[in-house]
Amino acid sequence: MISEMNFLERILYILQKYGTSYLKGAGTTLLIALVSTFIGCIIGFLVGIIQTIPVDKTRGKGNRDPFLKRIVLGVVNAVLKIYIEVFRGTPMIVQAVFIYYGMSQLFGIQLGMWQAAFLVVSINTGAYMAESVRGGIISVDPGQMEGAKAIGMNHVQAMTSVILPQAFRNILPQIGNNLIINIKDTSVLSVISIVDLFFVHKSVSGALYTYFESATIVMVIYLSMTLLTSKLLRLWESRMDGDENYELVDVMDIGRQLGTKDKRA
Amino acid sequence: MDTNQVILEVSHLEKSFGSHSVLKDIDFKVKKGDVVSVIGASGSGKSTMLRCINLLETPTKGHIYYQGKDITEPGTNVCAYREKVGMVFQNFNLFNNMNVLENCMAGQIKVAKKAKEEAEKNALHFLEKVDMAAYINAKPRQLSGGQKQRVAIARALAMEPEILLFDEPTSALDPQMVGEVLNVMRTLAKEGLTMIIVTHEMAFAKDISSHVIFMADGVIAEEGNAQQIFETPQKKETKEFLARFRQGI
Ligand SMILES: Nc1ncnc2c1ncn2[C@@H]1O[C@H](COP(=O)(O)OP(=O)(O)OP(=O)(O)O)[C@@H](O)[C@H]1O
Ligand SMILES: [Mg+2]
Repeated sequence: MISEMNFLERILYILQKYGTSYLKGAGTTLLIALVSTFIGCIIGFLVGIIQTIPVDKTRGKGNRDPFLKRIVLGVVNAVLKIYIEVFRGTPMIVQAVFIYYGMSQLFGIQLGMWQAAFLVVSINTGAYMAESVRGGIISVDPGQMEGAKAIGMNHVQAMTSVILPQAFRNILPQIGNNLIINIKDTSVLSVISIVDLFFVHKSVSGALYTYFESATIVMVIYLSMTLLTSKLLRLWESRMDGDENYELVDVMDIGRQLGTKDKRA
Repeated sequence: MDTNQVILEVSHLEKSFGSHSVLKDIDFKVKKGDVVSVIGASGSGKSTMLRCINLLETPTKGHIYYQGKDITEPGTNVCAYREKVGMVFQNFNLFNNMNVLENCMAGQIKVAKKAKEEAEKNALHFLEKVDMAAYINAKPRQLSGGQKQRVAIARALAMEPEILLFDEPTSALDPQMVGEVLNVMRTLAKEGLTMIIVTHEMAFAKDISSHVIFMADGVIAEEGNAQQIFETPQKKETKEFLARFRQGI
């Protein structure tokens, strides 16, 4: 039986018997990580954008912001700050239990474990991303915003067409980082019975007492997922950066288009 | 052309940063087609004044009238005003996430709500004017300082402004690139564009200006036409400032 096999044989045996379970677990892990990172990024962008809305603090006549706007923004920002601190400052495994059971006991909302899983990882990622986005926005040269304003753009236009694309490029490595962390950290969701890769590992090794062999398999799968993710993100980054060179355009062509060819010739 | 029409009036403008009073009672008028040069020592408040005119800084006191309307009043449509009063910066501030053509189209499409084809045609027209049409596919980081500044001028022109403000447009450039930018500005002046130019290029200012403002310590110490300021300055500060410049050259 299994106790008479060597290490490799055991691994093959486990793979034969439970290979699809591992793959399914890996699929679950990837699904939760990808979807939650995506939602987390959206949360993070919203929070980061709100936190960087400028408020005119000058006193007296010159102030262009109505009192109400300043009050509302102040309150909203305080709430967002609390959100960020709470979710960055507590372990996700505790958050999962807290939300899964808390929602039912406090609000009578019975979350499915999948809903809870997506919710916890998204909110957690959102808290981290919010700070990254805020940093990404602040680190864009203030001259970019002034350039946008000087041609008449309002804050929203300047943000969407000038600042956020640059901030997004700045924080792309951190989005990748979060994705990789999420691929690994979904393992804590086994506390709310999500059958992810780690859950499969626990079940298999519990049944066969092959902790080391199963862990080896799981290590390899996790590592493949994270390495692949890194690679894809690098590709995305270099695509965003575009070509190192540019093509000069034949000015005569443009002249012809504009009907000014004769002047240049 | 009605050359006596006052297009911009700065009236008793004051600006303080906290307790630091940078502009004290600035008063002047700009007529359509005027080329106003603003000169003065570093820290005298030239940039701050220009930024107040563009409302990038909020004036502490005073009024700025554009076409007779006080744009310091709350409720002013600041964006619509900036569309008409463009600004060219010392550090170009081209949008790093866009290529040259996109830089010149973004404002036309987002702000002026022009159709893409029209915006492109317009952008190409002004890029050609500053001799940068060949570079439409380049990103700002791939251009020299002089090229960047010419694109920045084209971007501002593409909004078809009534007034263009320049804050030391050649100060960040290597000497051999200064000429190409100044030449573009000379052309614009000849075509009758109203401009306010903060500059340290005295020969250029003397050559191009219809009016010169000399600033010292947050006030207009002396003003007049180019001949008056550069040839026969009256105030001691103006004379000293210009003398320092002549020695430098
Ligand atoms: N945002 C700010 N906060 C505080 N002080 C400022 C600010 N901007 C400018 N100042 C101060 O205002 C004064 C005038 O600055 P300003 O940039 O207008 O001078 P300038 O005439 O343009 O000088 P330069 O020729 O060096 O560009 C300086 O003493 C400067 O320190
Ligand atoms: Mg300055």
